[in-house]
Amino acid sequence: MIKKKKLPEATIPTSSMADIAFLLLIFFLVATVIDVDTGIGLTLPEYVPPEEQKEVKVDPNRMAAVLINENNDVLLDGKIISVFQIKNALKPRIESKIDLPSNKKLIVSVKTARETVYNTYIQALDQIKEAYFEVRDELSNQKFGNKYDDLTAEEQQSVKDAVPIIISIAEPEQVKK
Amino acid sequence: MTFEKKRASTKQEIPTASMPDIIFMLLLFFMVTTTLREVEVFVKYSLPEAEAIEKIENKRLVSYIWVGKDKRVQINDNIVKLDEIQDIMYKKRTDLPNIIVSLRVDQNTDMGYVTDIQQELRKASCLRINYSTRVKS
Repeated sequence: MIKKKKLPEATIPTSSMADIAFLLLIFFLVATVIDVDTGIGLTLPEYVPPEEQKEVKVDPNRMAAVLINENNDVLLDGKIISVFQIKNALKPRIESKIDLPSNKKLIVSVKTARETVYNTYIQALDQIKEAYFEVRDELSNQKFGNKYDDLTAEEQQSVKDAVPIIISIAEPEQVKK
Repeated sequence: MTFEKKRASTKQEIPTASMPDIIFMLLLFFMVTTTLREVEVFVKYSLPEAEAIEKIENKRLVSYIWVGKDKRVQINDNIVKLDEIQDIMYKKRTDLPNIIVSLRVDQNTDMGYVTDIQQELRKASCLRINYSTRVKS
């Protein structure tokens, strides 16, 4: 009688499976770029050809003109200030116009020289935005007792209506050389 | 009198049989969330820093324009000239009407150059823009 050879059990060795999966995992961990797109949002005005441009008179009380020259000096309504003072200079002006109708809100106009460094422009824009955000936060706190981000959509809209962000980018002018 | 040490009768091993499953779960998560870079950026740039920043809500709408240290402008996979921007962006806008243009501009660029690009964008009526910035730490 021939003894039947016992067949070894047909199994795939799974002990190294974890290692293989780990390698793959590490690859994807390294390859993942979770880049968040953050930045300062802005809406440009529509393009109007120079011949059709009209000058619209705006009440000087509504305007806050921020001028930045090529030496990165900032002029806010005729006064020289540093970039980091813009926020505190604008805040009271925004606050004073909360209760006014929407056609009387503050307009912040930003104008730069051609040689101004982009970084300074962003710093200035950042300061302006921050002034608006802080006023919005304070108003939300007064009205609803919560931060702006934590309000419901309707409450946010009412705050938005009271403090609209109006930033005007000045029309580029022909410069004499 | 000798004392016999009491030993727990249970096995002192961590069951590793489910380890591959757990790792596969993690692996799947990362595979799903990974977005491999679609475009290669040719220009060198370093973004300015800002605090009052917003997240772009809808990533699908975003289209990028890079401006490098050497003033080269890149859209998609190509370096483009200033006067080509209008045509390219206009085509993009017809495909995606409410496109957001994210400007990734090097922090030492002249504003005049940025203004020129903005003028081109306005002519192409891509009006929603976003100045890409890093978070100030």
